[in-house]
Amino acid sequence: MGRTACLTIIALCSATPAFAMHISEGILPFNWAVFWSVLVLPFVALGVRQLNALSRDDLSLKPLVGLLAAVVFIISCMPIPVPTAGTCSHPCGTGVAAILVGPLASVLISAVALLIQALFLAHGGLSTLGANVFSMGVVGSFLGWFAFKALRRMGAGLGVAGFVAGVLADWGTYATTSLILAAGIRGNAPFLPLFTKVVIAFIPTQLPLGILEGVITAGMVQLLYKKRPDLLVRMKVITEQEVPDHG
Amino acid sequence: MHHHLSRQNFDPSHWVSSLDPRIKLLSAFALLGLVISSQGIGFPLLVTVVSLVLCLNLGVTLKTLALRFSEPAFIAVTVLVLKLFCAGSVALFTWRVAGIELVGHRDGLWEGLQIVGRIAGGVTVLAVVGFSTPFTELMAALSWLRVPQALIDVALFAWRYLFLLLEDAQVVYHAQRNRLGYVGYRRGLSSFGTLAGVLVIKAFDNSQSVTTAMVQRGYDGQMPMLLHKPFVAREVFCSLIFVSSLALIRFI
Repeated sequence: MGRTACLTIIALCSATPAFAMHISEGILPFNWAVFWSVLVLPFVALGVRQLNALSRDDLSLKPLVGLLAAVVFIISCMPIPVPTAGTCSHPCGTGVAAILVGPLASVLISAVALLIQALFLAHGGLSTLGANVFSMGVVGSFLGWFAFKALRRMGAGLGVAGFVAGVLADWGTYATTSLILAAGIRGNAPFLPLFTKVVIAFIPTQLPLGILEGVITAGMVQLLYKKRPDLLVRMKVITEQEVPDHG
Repeated sequence: MHHHLSRQNFDPSHWVSSLDPRIKLLSAFALLGLVISSQGIGFPLLVTVVSLVLCLNLGVTLKTLALRFSEPAFIAVTVLVLKLFCAGSVALFTWRVAGIELVGHRDGLWEGLQIVGRIAGGVTVLAVVGFSTPFTELMAALSWLRVPQALIDVALFAWRYLFLLLEDAQVVYHAQRNRLGYVGYRRGLSSFGTLAGVLVIKAFDNSQSVTTAMVQRGYDGQMPMLLHKPFVAREVFCSLIFVSSLALIRFI
């Protein structure tokens, strides 16, 4: 029975999405590949520094970030049907990672998830790792995290803040991916028309998928709040006063 | 996905598999650099053919290769179509579809083919590395290349528990399906949200138990890495010859 379940999920995960999120290996010319890799380095360095500093006091932090990277990997390999395009695509998962462990650790999480996907699934690549980490890890994580924090400060509930964070993280990732793609493949053509075309190509899948990712992020945060609020307190997503038992 | 990630896809006794992972990684970086900086399609296609032959020689089945390359192939076709119709100025052909005139451009097609060549070359080079090197050895090689230890540690934890979480996800997913959790769009979404939430909870709980178990075994915040054997002069020499000859072809 376990084997059948295993095969079902594997079959689902093997379904090729119509518009994959990651920029494929080799798609960017050398100069753009180097540019995005250099651009992402400070964020990765800051993430490493933060993780090293925090894990001196809490040894469980590195395993936790590693396990969350595995969760993001699994989530970003799960196909979601997109009715408007009649196809499947997949969520990013960085929105929820940023909410739980902060944007810098989330950059590391996405870097690790993308590295594994590049090496063993041919999703993304090594030369495009910088570009993919920038769109999914940096833009997705920071947009999601800022949106979540801003809305919480304005008094929004966890569900609403999680929804907006998920939507913005997803849409931000795809907008950045479109920009990177258009800049990388334009050749001698003008940038703006090609960028518009890439964005339009993404819209049928990503517009609804972003909303779905928002719903899923909100659902995840609310599930954690209901079942394990202690985890949200530990990750400083909510205060102890906000735990249900405290009224 | 499990199929792709499994180590059983290749022959561990093959000469490519037994090459020092540091040499494999450095050669792959050099080839990737050559492929993505090339201006034509001849060199990337040559690298593609060499890499595909190596993959097949490693014992990777055609079905596995087809599955592995399906996503990049789709992207390559999309980019080719985009460049054919949206870039360039020299008309190659004209199609009339539902009253809309589509003009394919010769120079757009050439630019598209160049990108397709780069994708094919890059993806197949990475496939050789992925099919012939266990993850832990790759991480040890990256550590030798001075990739920050924290990043390597996180990757090793992720890899170790990926399969465990994947199995948990499969169990939950199967249970949800049996209880009609994916009947209807709304219900499906709710089930998917719950599944993702359960995975996060399991990740938190596992991280605690893993840390406790590891501390009992002497974990001090640093994961022990595989020790590298000294470089074998023959391997270094052969790899240098291989990469240099391809570089020579690329620049000629």
